[in-house]
Amino acid sequence: MTDQSSGSVLVVGGGISGLTAALEAAEVGKDVFLVEKNPYMGGRVAQLNQYFPKLCPPTCGLEIQFKRIRANRNIRMYNMTTVKSVSGSAGNYEVTCVTAPRYVNNNCTCCGDCVDACADERDNDFNFGMNKSKAIYRPHDMAFPAKYVLDKDACSAETLEAIKGACKYDAIDTDMTEEEFTLNVDSVVWATGWTPYDAEKLENLKVNSSKAIITNMQMERLASPNGPTTGKILRPGDDKEPESFGFVQCAGSRDENHLEYCSYICCMATMKQITYIRERYPEAPIYVFYIDLRTPGKYEKFREKIMADENVHFIKGKVADIVAEEDGGVTMIAENAVTGDKVSQKVDLCVLATGMEPAAKAQAAELGLDVDSSGFIVSNPDAGMISCGCAKKAADVVTCAQSSTAAAMKAIQAGR
Amino acid sequence: MRVSPDLDFIKYMKNAGGDTLKKCYQCATCSVVCPLSDDKKPFPRKEMIWAQWGLKDKLVADADVLLCHQCGDCTAYCPRGAKPGDVLGAIRAYMYTHYGFPSGLAKMVSDPKMLPMTVGLPAIIVLVMWFISGGMHLPSSDQLVDQGFSQFFGHWDWPWLAKNVFFIDLIMLPAVGLALFSVFRGVSTLWKEMEKQYNVSAEFRPSTKQFVVDFLVPSIKEIIDHKRFRECTENADRVRGHKPLMLAFIGLLFVTAYSAISQDVVGLFVEGMHGPMSLLNPVKILANVSAIALIVGIGILWGNRAAAEEKSGVKGSYYDWFLIYEIMAVGVTGLGAELCRLIGVPPLAYFMYYLHLVSVLMLFLYMPYTKFAHLVYRTFAYAFERYRNSAFVTQKQEG
Repeated sequence: MTDQSSGSVLVVGGGISGLTAALEAAEVGKDVFLVEKNPYMGGRVAQLNQYFPKLCPPTCGLEIQFKRIRANRNIRMYNMTTVKSVSGSAGNYEVTCVTAPRYVNNNCTCCGDCVDACADERDNDFNFGMNKSKAIYRPHDMAFPAKYVLDKDACSAETLEAIKGACKYDAIDTDMTEEEFTLNVDSVVWATGWTPYDAEKLENLKVNSSKAIITNMQMERLASPNGPTTGKILRPGDDKEPESFGFVQCAGSRDENHLEYCSYICCMATMKQITYIRERYPEAPIYVFYIDLRTPGKYEKFREKIMADENVHFIKGKVADIVAEEDGGVTMIAENAVTGDKVSQKVDLCVLATGMEPAAKAQAAELGLDVDSSGFIVSNPDAGMISCGCAKKAADVVTCAQSSTAAAMKAIQAGR
Repeated sequence: MRVSPDLDFIKYMKNAGGDTLKKCYQCATCSVVCPLSDDKKPFPRKEMIWAQWGLKDKLVADADVLLCHQCGDCTAYCPRGAKPGDVLGAIRAYMYTHYGFPSGLAKMVSDPKMLPMTVGLPAIIVLVMWFISGGMHLPSSDQLVDQGFSQFFGHWDWPWLAKNVFFIDLIMLPAVGLALFSVFRGVSTLWKEMEKQYNVSAEFRPSTKQFVVDFLVPSIKEIIDHKRFRECTENADRVRGHKPLMLAFIGLLFVTAYSAISQDVVGLFVEGMHGPMSLLNPVKILANVSAIALIVGIGILWGNRAAAEEKSGVKGSYYDWFLIYEIMAVGVTGLGAELCRLIGVPPLAYFMYYLHLVSVLMLFLYMPYTKFAHLVYRTFAYAFERYRNSAFVTQKQEG
């Protein structure tokens, strides 16, 4: 061990990958700093309705990790925190982090009195803007840490006063400011995860032309009991119960003009979402337009089960045009590459199976990390810079957990 | 389905600018974004897999290959950079060689390695004719201004047909004749192949007049109007180049026909029809306007293609550039010769005129084998599409 070595590890990102990596490192005795840019832990997984293929809710899995974190004194958690700069070398990194003001301190008990007093609203980004929440809010029902957040910019001065007045615990602190601090660590695990590919960039699919076009992550929120519709799958805008559904596979993935790689999860996500639809609409016809179906290994069984449903139609051919219809639905246009005929399929709700874009794409290069041509962070264990989960490559939850454990293994060795 | 790939065809596709073909993974985005593709059996996805599989026979009988205007919308949206637009262009080039007669000439013209021969042949023909005519001497400045190029091949006193006209006819008429025969033969074969492929048969065939009036003329009208060109979004600019170019060719065809009739027919009976026209003669004005339109039009297409190639980083194909250079040569040498004549510089004027004759001969002689052939093949593909959807074919199939 070098003289300056602090023996500690920084994990950037508090999603399923970062939580796993932090825990694995902490449970062998390392000091771990875990920074997360959201006010809550759990990342994308927290936004899901169910995992595939077992179809259990995300609290299963996340809850266990949260419990392990609470029980572990070696982990220090920072929410609403991002990495500003990194300098040094393996065994001796100095990392500057910035914490954005939450305006709510640790006195918060989540009693909810402030919400009743709050008159102003904000777009609920946890639900991809499909509904609004009050300007002081708990990010979602199961948010960990269980603390409210105040969106100060969305509030009038009167509202701020009202909120402050409503809090019995003196938990509201509107004078909080951005805080910068420095960490000395041996190694950094990058678990910065992914963002859904921006569907607006898919010009020919015209996502803004109709409310009936949603992304697969929006579908997760619609199906989720803590989502904007409390789990009913209704068409945004008019809340109609859709009578037919369409899925656009490879919306942005495997496309040189967008994401050149396969995002790995979208085929299975679509099949999973077909089960959401089936629970609620047992007879509704569902049309899946695909190039190839990629359900590797054990997922094949899941695919077989879905494809046995007579009302689920699989059409080989990518949707290259979507036309908004007057009744609120849309027509999806593709060529059936098997028959050679052009297909126009009208549906009430159209789901774009958008892929995964590395969330730290721009920032990773700025910080001097080694990134590949698609923006995924390349692991460099010798330099103490280790990537895992979807920061490393597009992957499902199981693969993320595996790569995070592997990353923790590399990280604890970096200071030696 | 039995697949018998033609390996030579696949190799050809690789070399002819269709080398991106193998990247296609059949997602069929192209068939949907294509503004020209119809709703029943759209293109170019099916052509891409036929080409990958080396199914040459299907492709050379495919009207859709000819109906593609290479606007590039498919290429812009292609997720794999397979460039379907360029692939179809390469297939068209193959088609013209395939249907070209005589095939030796067709192969020579389409082979970049044979370029010296391709240019050399007409250059030698014109030069040899010049020697044979015995006219090979330069006029004085005054003579040039006075006679123009009317004594390029010399002069004889036989009043019925000027020596110059005789020699020009001797060079150009066989070339035009061969070209017309070649495209006629090619289009006839293509038509039969297309009928077979599209399973088109009719109990009653249209008469020649019906065919011309009902199928050919409406097609030509559609082409002149550039209706399909204008549906492209990616390369919509090409209309600005192609339209003046096409109108220039129509103008020049009229001027050529006029002077051929006035010199070769009327000239046999009326004296003084030979020699340069006044610049104020309406026909001459049309000729000059057309010449300028031709140069401007081809210049725009040249610029567009160069810009497109720079943008996408691909090397242009011989097939595309040959025609651009050829037409530019015709325009520049023609106008150049006229200017040199007007300012009275005999050696340069005669040299320009020689080059003009060579480039015009190339244009005529090689028409069936170069990209220029599209003016015939595509027109008939338009007509075939109309025919295929006409009552002649559809009613019989229903009954």
